[in-house]
Amino acid sequence: MTPTTNPFSTRHTRPGSIVPLDGRGSPLDIPLLVGRLRRAGGVGAIVGPHGSGKSTLLLRLADEIEAGGTRVERVRMRGWWDVSRAVLAFRNAGRSGIVCIDGWERLAGPVRRLVRLLAWTAGRGLVVTMHRRDSMPELATCCTSPGLLAAIVDRLPGRSDWYGTLIGAQDVRAAFDRRRGDIREALYDLYDVFERRARGSVPRRS
Amino acid sequence: MSDLQNRAGLNRDGQERVGASPQVDVQFDRPARRYQPGDRLAVRYRIDDCDGDRIHAIEHSVVWYTEGKGEEDLGVHFFQRVTDRSLRSSRVVAGDFAASLPRSPLSYEGLIVKVRWCVRVRVFFDGSRDFVSEHVFEMGDVPPARLPPPEA
Repeated sequence: MTPTTNPFSTRHTRPGSIVPLDGRGSPLDIPLLVGRLRRAGGVGAIVGPHGSGKSTLLLRLADEIEAGGTRVERVRMRGWWDVSRAVLAFRNAGRSGIVCIDGWERLAGPVRRLVRLLAWTAGRGLVVTMHRRDSMPELATCCTSPGLLAAIVDRLPGRSDWYGTLIGAQDVRAAFDRRRGDIREALYDLYDVFERRARGSVPRRS
Repeated sequence: MSDLQNRAGLNRDGQERVGASPQVDVQFDRPARRYQPGDRLAVRYRIDDCDGDRIHAIEHSVVWYTEGKGEEDLGVHFFQRVTDRSLRSSRVVAGDFAASLPRSPLSYEGLIVKVRWCVRVRVFFDGSRDFVSEHVFEMGDVPPARLPPPEA
């Protein structure tokens, strides 16, 4: 059977569609991280390189915090123009709410300091994603491995319809190596491989 | 045409689903699942194997979405929520709904992006568990994109 959905498309691989996994591909203990955040006074950073699962983890963490009854505001920073959205999020979060900012480094250094000051004075929590450590308490470090990519691929929909025929373990490993561990880019590569093989332009794996 | 049960693999709390899942069988009024803009689409569905869980609501929707790399887009064309008391006592739940299709967007099988139409049945159980079942159909006759021939 030829699947008509590409399992590597964004809708199946974006943050929120896949479970946060650790660097070896095992599910992360989210309640444990929430406890760590609480002990750090509601401030923490998720650190890791591009495509290592920071946004996926942040989203899942935000959901867990919200399920515990704390108001959470989520902001995805795409550029400096989103600063106003971040400021608004602090207002909307309410007393002892938490603001989650994805893409902390897209804010300039002085703005980051200002936002932290705002969080501290307003009594709001702040959880961010960043590529390199700074002075914020580190909540989790995201890293990747071939095992992590394989574990993600194992969880994609309709696996029995395409794994071993359209996509195999070697393709997954090759994508990981080609993209030097960037899981997001590796999944995009696998999207293309899947598309070509499903349309028959490249021989399927035997 | 594909049917995707439990598409996200996660429940509403973002945790991996465990245990048995219901089986949602959807039948379109046109077995080939091919419609034209403005056509009326009608479906009947049946939900089995609820594993003793009580259903408290079912949502019916007809949606289009993009599938591909990068940003996604989605439009809800039809939506209906059913919270009938009889749902709670039934072991097998069946229902039907119908909607008139709009003029666009048409289904498109591209390489980088695809436009898909689907019927979605979402089942809400007591507690926080829910289950989504998607059933793709085609609207229009746009031919699929073709790959360029391989370079010599």
